[in-house]
Amino acid sequence: MNKEHFCESCIAALENTSKIYKTGDTSVTALQPSTVMLKPNELTLIIGPSGSGKTTLLSLLGCVIYPTTGDIWVNGNHVNLLNEVELANLRLRNIGFVFQSFNLIAPLNAIENVIMPLRLLRLPESKAREKALEALEKVNMTDKQKNLPRELSGGQQQRIAIARALVTEPSLILCDEPTAALDTKSVSIVMQELKSLVSVGKSIAVVTHDNRLKQFADRILYVNNGFVSDTPPEEEIFT
Amino acid sequence: MIKTAYKFLKYDKPKTIGVIIGIVICTFLIGQQVGILTFLTRLMGGLIDNSDTDTAQIWIVDKITINVNELARLDESLVREVRSVEGVKNSYPVIVAGAIATFSSGKTVPVTLIGSEPPHFSAGPNTGKIAEGKLSDLVLEYSISADYYDASTFSNTTDLGTELELNGKRAFIRLQTIDARGFGGSYIYTTVTKARFYANYPQDKVNAINVSIKDGYTPEEVCNSINKTFPSVRAWVTNDLKKSTIRFVVSSSNIGTSIGSLVIFAIISGFFIIGLTLYSAAIDRIRDYGTLKAIGATNQYITKLILIQSFISASTGFLLAWMLLEGFRSGVAKGGLIFSLSPALLVGLFLITLIISGGSAVFFSIRTLKNVEPASVFRN
Ligand SMILES: Nc1ncnc2c1ncn2[C@@H]1O[C@H](COP(=O)(O)OP(=O)(O)OP(=O)(O)O)[C@@H](O)[C@H]1O
Ligand SMILES: [Mg+2]
Repeated sequence: MNKEHFCESCIAALENTSKIYKTGDTSVTALQPSTVMLKPNELTLIIGPSGSGKTTLLSLLGCVIYPTTGDIWVNGNHVNLLNEVELANLRLRNIGFVFQSFNLIAPLNAIENVIMPLRLLRLPESKAREKALEALEKVNMTDKQKNLPRELSGGQQQRIAIARALVTEPSLILCDEPTAALDTKSVSIVMQELKSLVSVGKSIAVVTHDNRLKQFADRILYVNNGFVSDTPPEEEIFT
Repeated sequence: MIKTAYKFLKYDKPKTIGVIIGIVICTFLIGQQVGILTFLTRLMGGLIDNSDTDTAQIWIVDKITINVNELARLDESLVREVRSVEGVKNSYPVIVAGAIATFSSGKTVPVTLIGSEPPHFSAGPNTGKIAEGKLSDLVLEYSISADYYDASTFSNTTDLGTELELNGKRAFIRLQTIDARGFGGSYIYTTVTKARFYANYPQDKVNAINVSIKDGYTPEEVCNSINKTFPSVRAWVTNDLKKSTIRFVVSSSNIGTSIGSLVIFAIISGFFIIGLTLYSAAIDRIRDYGTLKAIGATNQYITKLILIQSFISASTGFLLAWMLLEGFRSGVAKGGLIFSLSPALLVGLFLITLIISGGSAVFFSIRTLKNVEPASVFRN
């Protein structure tokens, strides 16, 4: 089935997409049918209470899960039609991930973590190293390149993770609570770095509980009970 | 990817060491058992291995036996009669008889006397088995051989000139063999005449007849002709009789079963020890594998990464086990338990090591890691 592209100017788009998790005979509707468009040069903040479906939304955009209904488009690819290997490839080439708990590969040092996606892309080692160094420079972490993740602070680990997310020059960067484990100073460093990527044409989505991040957002999506909306739920308007 | 695999192994040092120790133990046990089995099977066919292959191309034995260590008696006249068969170049009588050896210390030991005819001594010892002395010295009066490694069995040296009694008759060791031994007995080589003399063996009987064949004939052809002409006996191509002997002794003595089950248990326990350690190492790193998947690694990549880790552990474990086996081999060789770590044995062992560790990696860790969802990394 070939479907008309839903949003040509989007980097990633959900079209009436829902997600229902089935475990045994119980099923949880984590995301109600929603339409979401992520465009270049935008930092989108995704805010909502715990369990509201933020991570589910991000996972759908990140092509790590399939939707229950609706369609997903990433960089012109109709995600619904791709198999798991093709999805992995799509993630590798188009999406950078930043996680709440950093998720650096523990046995590998900083630069090897950054090189990893390039190795998966089968870039020649010297070229990969060069690019990884560039990425480390962008996050100001060249002096820690030989350190193992456990030898780095949370903020430093997250900066390495950002370097890893941007080293493949993806058009979409997805962050799930990237600042939850960080102190205020690290929060602003990490967010400045993400913000600077937006200016070079990338689309960034950041899931957060953290109101401090609102100042960095170009756009805010509110998720509540599986519903996604551009406007805050009522109680928040008055606070 | 080799470097990444190596870093994963290095990071989980205790588990990696556990896996390698598992591989070493398992590989060493298998190598040791197979080494001992090759030694024992060589002993089983010792009578044939020690013989002179130029003059003992065919063994004629009684109709019933399939084991060269259990020979009935044949009529001596047959030795001359077989010479009339087409393709037979010459034939030689062989006597194999039990005797009791008594040493100056008073110690008595049952031995096996093997008599064949000079100058060839078709039943052996062949030149490769001679340590000291000349084969032709066996012709001298009271002259017999004894083996270097039987010194401990005899509690007596087997040096040239040693005097002993065989069934109460005096004898002198004039030839020292080395590793010319059989299964469950010490071999004393001498002439047919002296073997008869010491063992009180009837003049008109022999235990076997060795046959050499003329150029242009194959041993199989000549065997067939002999078997047709003399249906009351059976002629064997030398190597076939050896194989038959080993097959018979291995199966009837339970050596095959006991060593086989030891090897199988070593493989099974290795499989589980290595597999469970690999599994627990994989579980420790499950988050890393999940992250790799999320950022775009395929299951194929994860599988390769695990298999390379198991290959590195297997090779390291194999090399250590090889060193230990070499130590074991040279240690027991001093006592006469001689086997070689042949290239075939080593290659076989290495393959088994790879199969055990690769198989257990696939069975325990890869199966688990394949099911790790890339989405799992978003759950903390
Ligand atoms: N793999 C899963 N299997 C079953 N239910 C799931 C799964 N993942 C999420 N859910 C359920 O879906 C709903 C939305 O979960 P989700 O993780 O998207 O929320 P969230 O907004 O990210 O919450 P939090 O702020 O706590 O991270 C929750 O009720 C959750 O229990
Ligand atoms: Mg979440």
